[in-house]
Amino acid sequence: MAPDGAKGDHRVVDDRDLIASAQLGDRQAFGELVRRHQRGVVSVVYRMCGDLRLAEDAAQEAFIRTWQNLNRYNPQYAFRSWLYRIAANSALDTLRRERPAAVIDTLPLPDPRPTPEQTAEKDERAALTRRSIARLSEPLRIVLVLREYEELSYQEISTVLDIPIGTVMSRLNTARTQLRRELAGFLEEA
Amino acid sequence: MNNHILEWLPAYHDDELPAYQRQQVKDHLEICPVCRTELQTLLDLSMLLKSDPLPQLTFPERFAAQVHLLLPRSAPPRLQKPRLPGWVLATPLALVVIWAFVQAGVWLTSFTLGTSLIFPVITPSFLLEDSLGIPGTLLVLNLVLSAGLVVLLSAWTALWHRWKQQQNPSSVFTYLGKEV
Repeated sequence: MAPDGAKGDHRVVDDRDLIASAQLGDRQAFGELVRRHQRGVVSVVYRMCGDLRLAEDAAQEAFIRTWQNLNRYNPQYAFRSWLYRIAANSALDTLRRERPAAVIDTLPLPDPRPTPEQTAEKDERAALTRRSIARLSEPLRIVLVLREYEELSYQEISTVLDIPIGTVMSRLNTARTQLRRELAGFLEEA
Repeated sequence: MNNHILEWLPAYHDDELPAYQRQQVKDHLEICPVCRTELQTLLDLSMLLKSDPLPQLTFPERFAAQVHLLLPRSAPPRLQKPRLPGWVLATPLALVVIWAFVQAGVWLTSFTLGTSLIFPVITPSFLLEDSLGIPGTLLVLNLVLSAGLVVLLSAWTALWHRWKQQQNPSSVFTYLGKEV
């Protein structure tokens, strides 16, 4: 698996400095890491859970696990990859804890805080999309989320999930096929 | 290209094809309405998925502050690299010492008896003449012991190599081994 932490933007370098400080117990440095990555982590867990409240809980838990295991991080690889994997596991644990059964049809229909300009149709479409994603099995869902929402490359997804690229591609295809079947009505409209 | 290239379209859509394959797909799409429709469906699906925006965090600053409050007071625990017990590390050395000791004994016996126990290949008639005599028994024991030591040393080396690999996994993750 190729290291993907050597991308040239300065943030990666800064992240490494922050990680090094945080590993020594610098809570401020870790706080800065949280601020930088909270959007990505919340996004991953929200797409996995389909519920903002649960997503915020799972994201917090993910960051706490990250702190507890910071000295296990291998700096040869991107911090984001490591963090997203912890986030995905945290989301799954939260879902199992909070919604042990029949989770899919209880996912909140529209967004709990809708903006005024959102139409009922948009709400319905968004909710059905979320439900369809929630119906995917966990391995399919995480691959789809990382590709479609976080726009990670196949190689990055392979790194995050520690699976071969071929498996990434096959899972992604299966997830898309399933979604196309479930969302056929909306796709025909499009 | 007459056949459809449906299996390449997801990777094309995700911009994951190498340049030469990408060009092949582009050329094919110009002449194939079936594959164009398939690609359009992939694009529509992506647009549909992204049409559900990520809601804003309740309070982004409060989120970071809450994480800060929830963090354990202590620094992240430092990893203690597991160490092998001393006797494990001393095993190969002990085996070599035992072997050297036995060889020295065999040399002395050889010198006393005036025959070669060390290089039986050079004196193959030795075994035929004294196959069950004391020198022959010593020779066989020496060979068995040497072979046994080689097997033990090889096994120790293999186990040690495996242990080292487990301590330095090539994977990015040393935490959260579970499949997601």
